[in-house]
Amino acid sequence: MKTNARLLWVLTVFFAFITVVYVVWSLLDTSHGRVEWAGTFMLGLTTVLMAFVAFYLGRVHAAQGGELPEDRLDGNIDDGDPEMGFFSPWSWWPIFLAASAALLFLGLAVGIWICFIGLGLGLIALTGWVYEYYRGLFAR
Amino acid sequence: MNRPNSVAVGTIVWLGSEVMFFAGLFAIYFTLRSTSPELWLFEADKHNFTFALINTLILVSSSVTCQFGVFAAERLQARSTGWKPSEWGMVEWFFLTYALGAIFVTGQVFEYATLVSEGISLSSNAYGSAFYITTGFHGIHVTAGLIAFLLVIGRGFAVKNFGHKEATSAIVVSYYWHFVDVVWIGLFLVIYVLK
Repeated sequence: MKTNARLLWVLTVFFAFITVVYVVWSLLDTSHGRVEWAGTFMLGLTTVLMAFVAFYLGRVHAAQGGELPEDRLDGNIDDGDPEMGFFSPWSWWPIFLAASAALLFLGLAVGIWICFIGLGLGLIALTGWVYEYYRGLFAR
Repeated sequence: MNRPNSVAVGTIVWLGSEVMFFAGLFAIYFTLRSTSPELWLFEADKHNFTFALINTLILVSSSVTCQFGVFAAERLQARSTGWKPSEWGMVEWFFLTYALGAIFVTGQVFEYATLVSEGISLSSNAYGSAFYITTGFHGIHVTAGLIAFLLVIGRGFAVKNFGHKEATSAIVVSYYWHFVDVVWIGLFLVIYVLK
């Protein structure tokens, strides 16, 4: 985790440097002579992207209080936490949600009325997915 | 030792991709502004700054109430134990956040209606396109956040024992909400202050 955060900080510095180079170069170029906003914004916010994830991973690393077994050279498989979190074994809801998203975009392409059907089905699919493990046999 | 929460880390990485999505929108805005500055001189003065400022403050305050909801969720307290805000649970705080977010979206709709009546529309000129595409995509994000709040509140009602899994969904929705809020502050500064 520490290495992940450091790699992203290195990329932050790199993109910050490239952003400055980009701005200076577009100002120095006699055929252009002004700031090129599209690229400046993309490079600038790529810097923000890297810093954002790096900062969060740094916080996660500080909160976990030590190195995880998978980050240690002397770590073994059975040193790891047996509880990895909850993972759904299978579910029909994502494919239902994908189908309603497909209807939504089909509607944008051929006729807006299909969008309303897609939106309605999408809300059903989303609710079904979010509450799949909160009802029936899984209610608690 | 605490294993990192994969839902929270995954949400942050996804929000990173959202940063790049809005980077594209900001790039559209600034490119159009640099190619047709005369439009900006003419159109950007039609905004009602006071109205937008109040709407912005409402959205920012919704981030604060959202964070109090997260504190309640971290105490694993879904419902209130009394009428005082210090005794509120996640559900009450998130309902308040929902109301503030809904007022913001309503204000946006009102602002759009006013601007359309003044002749600025999505297809009227480059300024209209830039304004409606940037703020419109942001508005869609706020609306999606409102739906997410309803789903998390529903989870609070659905379980007898509010646990860490429910608290995690409350926390990641708050990450998203704060992100959308920060993007709006950027948009507000660019569109209404910088012009």
